[in-house]
Amino acid sequence: MPRGAELVLRCLRHEGVDLAFGYPGGAIMPLYDALAGSGIRHVLTRHEQGAVFAAEGYARVSGKTGVAFATSGPGATNLITGIADAKMDGVPLVCITGQVRSVLIGTDAFQETDVFGITLALTKWSRLVTKLEDIPAVIAEGFYWARSGRPGPVLIDIPVDLMKAKSGSLAPVTFFPPQKPQSHAAPEWTQRVLAMLQKAEKPVALVGAGVKLSGATDQVRALLDELKIPSFATVHGLGAIETSAPHYLGMVGMHGTRAANLALHETDLLLVLGARLDDRVTGEPSRFAPHARIVHFEIDPSQLDRVRPCQIPVVGNLAETVPALQRAIAGAPRPDWGAWLAQAAGDERADLQPSGQTAPATQFLDDLFALLPPDAIVVTDVGQHQMWAAQRFRGSNPRGFLTSGGLGAMGFGLPAAIGAQLAAPGATVLCVSGDGGIQMNIQEFATLHRAKAPVKILIVDNQYLGMVRQWQGLFYDRNYAETDLSDNPDFVGIAKAYGVDGRTLTLDCMEPKNLEATAKTLREFVQSPNPELLVFHCPREANVWPMVPAGAALNEMMLRDKEEVAELEQTI
Amino acid sequence: MTLFHVRYRDTQGTLMRLLNAISRRAIQMPYLEVVPEGGGQRLSLTLDVNAKQSGQLMREWNATIDVLEVLASTSLEQVTQPKPPQEVWAVAAQSGALAMGQA
Repeated sequence: MPRGAELVLRCLRHEGVDLAFGYPGGAIMPLYDALAGSGIRHVLTRHEQGAVFAAEGYARVSGKTGVAFATSGPGATNLITGIADAKMDGVPLVCITGQVRSVLIGTDAFQETDVFGITLALTKWSRLVTKLEDIPAVIAEGFYWARSGRPGPVLIDIPVDLMKAKSGSLAPVTFFPPQKPQSHAAPEWTQRVLAMLQKAEKPVALVGAGVKLSGATDQVRALLDELKIPSFATVHGLGAIETSAPHYLGMVGMHGTRAANLALHETDLLLVLGARLDDRVTGEPSRFAPHARIVHFEIDPSQLDRVRPCQIPVVGNLAETVPALQRAIAGAPRPDWGAWLAQAAGDERADLQPSGQTAPATQFLDDLFALLPPDAIVVTDVGQHQMWAAQRFRGSNPRGFLTSGGLGAMGFGLPAAIGAQLAAPGATVLCVSGDGGIQMNIQEFATLHRAKAPVKILIVDNQYLGMVRQWQGLFYDRNYAETDLSDNPDFVGIAKAYGVDGRTLTLDCMEPKNLEATAKTLREFVQSPNPELLVFHCPREANVWPMVPAGAALNEMMLRDKEEVAELEQTI
Repeated sequence: MTLFHVRYRDTQGTLMRLLNAISRRAIQMPYLEVVPEGGGQRLSLTLDVNAKQSGQLMREWNATIDVLEVLASTSLEQVTQPKPPQEVWAVAAQSGALAMGQA
């Protein structure tokens, strides 16, 4: 007689799940007991946070819903950072947690936590299952909400006694929502946007993660190719616009390109395509795009008007709204924005060449990225290396750049890269991490080894929590409080202990006499059929430039270190 | 002060999600009431919010799964007055002399 746990797994299969990440424990043992023969491959991570980040990486690359399992209590609470990350970045995720027996709920039983209550503020939808017969409907509805609209995390908490109970003839069901998501844009919006475009002298387009999530990359590329207006991407929008497009100015925001930030500051008409406009993108909100009228394309109305009121909200799926706009503008007269594009993309607005300690770090990434195939997937952790990687990324794979952009969760990189590799087994997956971030989930080398996922891991090692140190240097009188990591462990030794090969390149690898040998090492690293670690000893006090300081407007970028500026002035 | 009414299906956690949208913004809740209505529930509450906060709350509530309707009103003399004790309120409402929505 099938039991509740088997029913859960059958329902997951009904939703198309064939891969899940997790970590077993007491309250979820029935589910693990039923895994064999369920048709679901399970990847054992070495920490529940690793499981949820891996599920996110899998979801971000595959477009499917990521699934993570954990037990009650600490297992469930270890999922929380990943759940928050999925909420911020709009990643479809279903977490199944075991809960203590129904009769013990509320008694502070062993390994009991109210994970349903704890995650109410972080999940899009959640349920504590109280009846066996509810399992099919709850799972069906949970998957629906995880995928629909702006995707997000769902938590389903199932008491262990329900998973052990005989489930009889219960079977998976399909959820039919009470109403389908609808476009709330006024019918005449396309004509209003066209009229605004016709009056605009300096229009621009900002592309965010929503373009990828809605599968509207081709439509957006077609629109921008037709409009030929300056365009740029948020960190999550990277890859949505081909970097070779003549209108593309790069990444925007705190560490965005000078050209993109200046164009965004000067624009008189801003088309926001699937971006939230968070503070890392806008700089000081009160001085964001001060001359602009805004048309905001967004599927989730709760994301509108958070920073600046928009003149025209276009609520709906970009895959439908963008083509509607393109049809409206086809053949309609509009200004020639060639001079504006030339100004915005002009050489005088190009970023300064990296110099000083920053130059070897960015050059190293340039050399490595140049070896990646066009469909490669770059996954980053969080910190300076993340921003250098985002700045230097040149891929055109819409799902080719993964990062914890909203939450900024250190420890994301390695497990997410494992999930990404399992979603795209044939792709080259490069995890760019830092010496701080890698240590937050370093145990996932074990998962990497067992899964035989040929992820390439680069640790940009500056023996600091580099981004915090950069801020301490710039804004806290160089008081490097608790950011020194000069006693880092031997990362290659750790990787080898987990069965992953690795090597270290010291800073002199970037000296001209060593560049040929370095190039050979990088080629071998990228082309290896196995998981590999490469540690690059980065200059300790390299900074990320340009930078919009907190509280500054986008046109108030710092372009390089004051010391370097002083040296240059002396030279001149 | 603004008076809000939110109608929602009485599903697990929905009320808490609605209230969380307020508490995460550190907005005080001087008055709130939840009553059954039409197979679901209606949350009525007064909040001292500006137009931007009001818009954000309404959009967030509207985006919450199982929310059916969100309404706001700024004519709030009635709800900002000191309220009679619960028993008096109930008796008065029964008599038709005082009910939500009447001046």
